[in-house]
Amino acid sequence: MIQLKNASKSYMQGAREVHALRNVSLNIGKGEFLSVMGASGSGKSTLLNLIGGLDQPSGGEIFMDGKPLHGISDDELTLIRRRRVGFIFQFFNLLPVLTAAENVSLPLLLEGTPFSQIQPKAVDLLKKMGLEERVDHRPEQLSGGEMQRVAIARALVTNPAVLLADEPTGNLDSHTSEEIFMLLKSLHEQGQTIVMVTHDPRAAAYGSRIVTLKDGAISEDITTGGLEA
Amino acid sequence: MNILQLLRHISVKHLRHQKARSLMALIGIALGVAAMVSIDIVNMSVLRSFEDNINRITGRAVLQVTDAESGFPEAMLDVVQKVPGVEYAVPVIETNGCLAWGDERAFAVLGVDVLQDGNIRDYSITDESSDIPDPLLFLARPDSILLTREMAAREHIAIDQQIKVQTVQGTRTFTVRGLLEPDGPAKALGGDIAVMDLYAAQLAFGKEGRIDRIDVSILRGESLDTMKERIQAALPEGYNIDTPAGRSRQMENLMGRFRKSMDMIGYLALFVGMYLIYNTVAISVVQRGREIGILRALGATRRQVSGLFLGETVVLSLAASLLGIGLGIILAKISITAVARTVSSMYGRSSITDLTIIPLHLAKDIAIGVAASVIAAFFPSRSSSRISPISAIRSTPYSSDALRRHRGLTIASLAFIGIAGAILLVYKTAAHASPLRSSSMTIAAMLSLLLGISLSTPLFLRRFISMFHRLFAGRLGAGGRLAGLNLEKNLTRNAVAVAAVFFSISLSVSSSSLLFSVQKGLMDYIDDVERSDVLITSGHPLASAGAQTIPMPLEMALEIEAIPGVDAADPFRKLFITISGRRVLLEAIDIPRWLKRNTVKVVKGMQGDVGTMMPGKDVISVSESVASRYGLKPGDHFTLPTPQGPVRFLVISVVVSFASDSGVIFIDYQTFRRIWQDHNADMFSVYVRPGNDVIDVRDAIRELYKDKRKMFVLDSREFRAEIKKLLDQSFEMNNAVNLLTLAIAGFGIIITLLASVFERTREIGILRSIGMKRGQVSGLVLIESALLGLAGGLLGTFAGVLTGWINLEGFFRLDFGDSISYQVHYLSICWALLLAVGLAVLAGLYPARRAAKTNITEALSYE
Repeated sequence: MIQLKNASKSYMQGAREVHALRNVSLNIGKGEFLSVMGASGSGKSTLLNLIGGLDQPSGGEIFMDGKPLHGISDDELTLIRRRRVGFIFQFFNLLPVLTAAENVSLPLLLEGTPFSQIQPKAVDLLKKMGLEERVDHRPEQLSGGEMQRVAIARALVTNPAVLLADEPTGNLDSHTSEEIFMLLKSLHEQGQTIVMVTHDPRAAAYGSRIVTLKDGAISEDITTGGLEA
Repeated sequence: MNILQLLRHISVKHLRHQKARSLMALIGIALGVAAMVSIDIVNMSVLRSFEDNINRITGRAVLQVTDAESGFPEAMLDVVQKVPGVEYAVPVIETNGCLAWGDERAFAVLGVDVLQDGNIRDYSITDESSDIPDPLLFLARPDSILLTREMAAREHIAIDQQIKVQTVQGTRTFTVRGLLEPDGPAKALGGDIAVMDLYAAQLAFGKEGRIDRIDVSILRGESLDTMKERIQAALPEGYNIDTPAGRSRQMENLMGRFRKSMDMIGYLALFVGMYLIYNTVAISVVQRGREIGILRALGATRRQVSGLFLGETVVLSLAASLLGIGLGIILAKISITAVARTVSSMYGRSSITDLTIIPLHLAKDIAIGVAASVIAAFFPSRSSSRISPISAIRSTPYSSDALRRHRGLTIASLAFIGIAGAILLVYKTAAHASPLRSSSMTIAAMLSLLLGISLSTPLFLRRFISMFHRLFAGRLGAGGRLAGLNLEKNLTRNAVAVAAVFFSISLSVSSSSLLFSVQKGLMDYIDDVERSDVLITSGHPLASAGAQTIPMPLEMALEIEAIPGVDAADPFRKLFITISGRRVLLEAIDIPRWLKRNTVKVVKGMQGDVGTMMPGKDVISVSESVASRYGLKPGDHFTLPTPQGPVRFLVISVVVSFASDSGVIFIDYQTFRRIWQDHNADMFSVYVRPGNDVIDVRDAIRELYKDKRKMFVLDSREFRAEIKKLLDQSFEMNNAVNLLTLAIAGFGIIITLLASVFERTREIGILRSIGMKRGQVSGLVLIESALLGLAGGLLGTFAGVLTGWINLEGFFRLDFGDSISYQVHYLSICWALLLAVGLAVLAGLYPARRAAKTNITEALSYE
């Protein structure tokens, strides 16, 4: 479903060129739960950004459902992000001015769908996340775990082909982290493709496959079958 | 670490780092100071030019005797010469002439007694006619004229050359007998001056047996005040004895209203600049919250923190004020010609060659610029010191400024609006002659109202946004919903940007409604009272006496009436008389002829009395402003200074007149001729017989006088167009400053939006990551921008309509009477709203572009 062929990414840091990713080739199948591991600066987030179309590779090719993500216009890439990808971030990245329901609705609002049509779906998703009491709350009125669940609901609202999670529990306590992992695992069990970046081996273990990066290249790629709930 | 060290180590880096924001705040204050400086320089230059001209033409005279502008009997000269203590007393004719060719350059004509005048004035003549050993003596020949070297060079005139000059008697030929070196009177009026013999000037300019002025020098040891009293006692009542400085002061008073309104506009421009400083500092405080926290944690006192921001403001505003001085001088250079033209046509000839720049005034402007900035920066600086070390370090870059201060703002806003209302109530109920009924009162009311409304901006903006949410946001998609929410998040800061727009739009709406009211009032008045087909004027149709006019002899009426198709040519004479130190326009009209075809708008008194009681009798009608100034009503008696001494007139009615902002007294032309012994006219109203073409008649008049005299021959349509043009011209400076304030407001929006975009870098990154296109991001910022503009525009329109009315009350109704009604100019309101939104969108373009270019991955890692 997602294919990387010799994808590389380098950027300038002052006068120094940094090779964040070096000729990475990777195939991610539909319904897979891939955990990407590696030390800080190994290129995990860069890989996720390239898969999610947040960034363009400096070299190589990336495909999603056979369609290239490289060398296309910004607007085309934006539409792919909007319709095919769901993002979950370490810092939740909710808009502080919007309520939980509005935050969840945002990708569809950007599509031009009237809020009245999206709202039932957004509320439904929030209910599934156990947030039926928090629909009209703003982020500042929510706990970290609740915020992350709102972010997951937002990521799911467009029924994305792939869910990309970048250290989704990096800012949460262990109990809440556990809840989030269970949520992701259950989504995976419903057939959702998930790519999760983490530096925590326990978290990575929830994935059905673990890819480890070192200095911008894949150093290990193992299939585990994932932790049992 | 003291403030200076903090400034050196931290602030300079910030100012450098935030180049765009610092630059815009700098430009904002610089433009405000520039407006103030340029207006000051222009005002001072105009005044100095008048003063310089008066001093040069006056020479060594320390006292001047004057009467009405038509002059007074030359027999008075003997009287003055015999007053003990008088050294020399010389007669002067001071009038206008113009060359009868080329661009018909106008110049002042000084008619002097060639034998005596050397005692008062120095003439330095280097070039002279070969057969004239003494040019001044030669001036006794009635065709002789002396020109300045400057004017001769400009007009390519040589010695002994014959030149044609427009005079009251029509075009006359004079011979240039000598050229005056640029010294003494020859340097006045930019060299546009000619000297003639007194007798020749009397003949040519219709002042036989009369003089305009007596210039007096006094013996050593005599005091000015004593001499003034002695001369006053020797002359009949009604004559003015004043020093040249006194005459300058009179000119200053005459232009007082003009100057006051200009000064006010300058201060208003600076006021808009203050919004910009407030915003810049407020934004800086929010963005540097973490830095403040660290400084506080490291031991910086509250005073040091607020001092840091105030110190930065002082540095920035000092640089801005210096820049403003430079800009102001450039602006003054650009605008001086236009202002000089308006002043010349409204108040009298002025020749502004150099800008008068007074260093002390510049220093004052710098001080005002810095002080205004520090005042504007005070509140955000104070709030910076209240940031606690812990909250600052923990805080995110957002500032959601709660509405906690808004209750205080609402109370303050209502208080200022209340004060404005109270001042207006006092003003409206005060007696006409009361000092409470002055333009200072209405200015105070206006400023209080503007301040009150600007304090209500956060409240208004909140209401405006909630209305936007209810009615429109849904239709504008995600961008619409988010835009309103974003504006709400930083209500105070956005309200300041709205206030800047509100302020400049209110100025624009106020001045256009004012112009429209004056235009409509004047045009309706002209339509009511002036029904002639063709108007002949010797100067500009709206020029007050004292401007560049050359009166016409009364006999011209007969010549004009002889033109086929002309039914009648009614004469008018307009001249200023001084009553208790204030000038009033005396307008002489041939009442019986006038009333055959026109009406008079009588406010008090019987309409019929004007026709029956005024002709030939010592009876006058007065305009509303004269009536209120001197407390006159029909049936009262009023004494006017005349060449025959004071004469008591019966006031028969109070009438509407917009002929002069100094007030108007109407008198029958026959009465005027009898008492003033003046047989000239400044205007003829020509009526065309039915069946004849007005344009043909107009052309026939022009043809008849083509080579004889310079005058304006306008059909009624042209006449109205000329008046409109002059009115527009007098509002030119207003328009320029309006544009300036709009530009400053535009910078305010740019600063606000840039700060908002900067603060929302992460948010924009999120939006982009979940699928917002670049275009949608810019659209979002532009919607915010347009909303700010629209909110400011709506509030500005409301305030502008109110302040326009207040201005009309305080300036025009005070000068022209209550008959002028207030007219809101709806078209210009539409334009102002479009302008507000357009300006805001334009200002939003750059921030929108910046927002759209946000790098997603960098933004998401941004804190």
